[in-house]
Amino acid sequence: MGHFDPYDDNGGTVAAIAGQDYVLIASDSRLSTGSTILSRFTPKIYPLSKVTVFACAGFHGDVLTLVKQLEIRMKLYVHEHGEEMSTKAMMALLLPTLYGRRFFPYYVRPIVAGLDREGRGLVASYDPIGTPEFFDYVIQGSAENLVHPFLNNQIGAKKTLSDVPIQAPPELTLEKAVKLLKDSFLAAAERDVYTGDTVTLMAITAKGTETTEYQLRRD
Amino acid sequence: MALSNICGADPAWECGSFEAPTPELFGVDYIQGKTAISALNCGEYNVGLSLPTLDAHQKIVQSLLEAPSTDLQLQQGAEHTKTANPRNLFLHGTTTLSFKFQGGVMVAVDSRASSGQQISSQTVNKVIPISKYLLGTMAGGAADCTYWMRVLNRQCRMYELRNRERITVSAASKLLSNMLYGYKGSGISIGSMIAGYDKRGPGLYVIDNDGMRVAGNCFSIGSGSPYAFGVLDTEYRWDLTDKEAYELARRAIYHATMRDPYSGGNVSVYHIKETGWVKIETQDVSDLFYKDRGIPVTA
Amino acid sequence: MFMTRSEYDRGINTYSPEGRLFQVEYAIEAIKLGSTAIGIQTKEGCVLAVEKRITSPLLEPSSIEKIWKVDEHIGCAVSGLIADARTLVEKARVEALSHWFSYNERMSVESVSQAVSNLAIGYGTTLSRPFGVAMLFAGIDHRKPQLWHMDPSGTFIQFDAKAIGSGSEGAQQSLQEVYHKDFTLKEALKHAVTILKQVMEEKINSINIEIATVTPENMYHLLTPKEVEEVLTLITEK
Repeated sequence: MGHFDPYDDNGGTVAAIAGQDYVLIASDSRLSTGSTILSRFTPKIYPLSKVTVFACAGFHGDVLTLVKQLEIRMKLYVHEHGEEMSTKAMMALLLPTLYGRRFFPYYVRPIVAGLDREGRGLVASYDPIGTPEFFDYVIQGSAENLVHPFLNNQIGAKKTLSDVPIQAPPELTLEKAVKLLKDSFLAAAERDVYTGDTVTLMAITAKGTETTEYQLRRD
Repeated sequence: MALSNICGADPAWECGSFEAPTPELFGVDYIQGKTAISALNCGEYNVGLSLPTLDAHQKIVQSLLEAPSTDLQLQQGAEHTKTANPRNLFLHGTTTLSFKFQGGVMVAVDSRASSGQQISSQTVNKVIPISKYLLGTMAGGAADCTYWMRVLNRQCRMYELRNRERITVSAASKLLSNMLYGYKGSGISIGSMIAGYDKRGPGLYVIDNDGMRVAGNCFSIGSGSPYAFGVLDTEYRWDLTDKEAYELARRAIYHATMRDPYSGGNVSVYHIKETGWVKIETQDVSDLFYKDRGIPVTA
Repeated sequence: MFMTRSEYDRGINTYSPEGRLFQVEYAIEAIKLGSTAIGIQTKEGCVLAVEKRITSPLLEPSSIEKIWKVDEHIGCAVSGLIADARTLVEKARVEALSHWFSYNERMSVESVSQAVSNLAIGYGTTLSRPFGVAMLFAGIDHRKPQLWHMDPSGTFIQFDAKAIGSGSEGAQQSLQEVYHKDFTLKEALKHAVTILKQVMEEKINSINIEIATVTPENMYHLLTPKEVEEVLTLITEK
């Protein structure tokens, strides 16, 4: 009898940036297992409401289950409370949802991005069992260690000796953020075998969600 | 072994040439496995209260041996690391401290979270408000701490609604301690100080995932705690002024972050008085370093 | 309606041939025996005012509770069987806190009423008869100050102003006459106490009434005897 092996790592990278009046969230579309590419057309990004989007790297089976779970919770909430769950509420809900599987975790690296009731951008990231953390920008998945320092330097810029002007939120414009995020994925695809193909990028503002796609390396 | 991974054994598995034992391996020779685990008790990780004791690991191993097919949760958890490592956020590398003094209770923490060698975050809030008069500190599994502190928060609010009276620090810490005792051996990893002010005056308790609960005047938890204790024990007096207490709390954490690579980020200092808790400050330890050395901080 | 008594008024889950659930109707009658409670919602917040029946001089007035805190942002006034009310208030508290636990937000007043109604309508599984309580939920959620009323049938409806209990008929009439949408909180307090005074059998004082306010600034606040005294001076001054 072969032993029980419930997890896989399907790679992929997801990222998000929160601005004063927008939020950006993106995912690549490659799905891999070991040394095989399973799919080039599977963006791991899931809108949960008009203003909240979920994206998730990790084991795709768990990702799909988790997304389904969150979609159900969103629908139930609408029926029970007569309005869509706010982004903040969804961000809070991930803790009990993920922690509920504390002893058989979802192998996932989730992020939630959205606008709050005042229209400001919010971004949260989680570990597989639900620790929430709120950031201005976040990246999770197979290329996170490659790209995080880049974003730290360009947006976070806690300590920098260069004289390049840093545009951190709230000054960071949507256009600049889009460029940064695109560059992040282009860089990731150059150096991470599990990130590539296409990036799906969603920009959420008070006007609505604008979804764009652009190509990465396909090798 | 994934559950051990979650509960904190992960660094130990990685710090030797030892290969993570499979249940089958233990099945062949349990004693050997046990010895191996003991040998893996690498000093720098097993400091303070932030790691579950070795007993906890052995309990997991034991349950794998005793019920290989029925204890599905543990087994599933144990197996999966072979293909995938969930890399949960850990506050194993942590320095937290709290002490009582004439002016109330001080609480100070660092803000670093790490998984293995990687710094996951430099901005973790390791002090969780339970009520206006109660604070909890986090060390151990980040999700474990966050979740159970939230449970405690809810229980305390329910207590206050039912009894129309503030819960005491003693009762609050005991609520959490009793809840965790029910999960003893399951791999949950929490080392926390419950500090507050109630009708009996200042209160301070240490609790951990084994069900330990101890009252005291001066505690530190986490991998940086030996360094923090060094400063704390030297300078601590009951009759510290408020200003002196802030400085001591800040300095103890600062020195711990300088020696312990798993602690760092910001120092946050809280003061709990009769009127409730107040956050005194959050300072980047890097700035404190330059100040300490007398180097002017550039903007 | 009491002329048509039949064996159908005994079964709690049996309709009469005319399509009525007598036990539920009797429970609605039962709450009309309870002490009077008044709730008013204004733009500035909500007011709850109840009478306490001090049936004996040897009774300790502070041990009678008719207004409960459900959460920071919701208060609840009840009339009818107080023992039943305790069960429902406990339910309201648990639901409000669970909601906070899951979503890290305040549960809406409507949802709390809904949750309590679900328990009230589930009589038979929890209790062998309908709950004999009417409740007023006053609170503030992210929408605005709100007042909701729930009766033993589990029906819950939003009101600008509502009276329950023995004096409710007269009190509701008076509320209808005085209420307007631009009430300040102070006006609402004054009118609530004035009307309560009219329908109470005993002479009103700071001991035999309870008042609570829910405002965006202070959230739920049960007035101290001294604060009640101040409110009472509002109506005696004139």
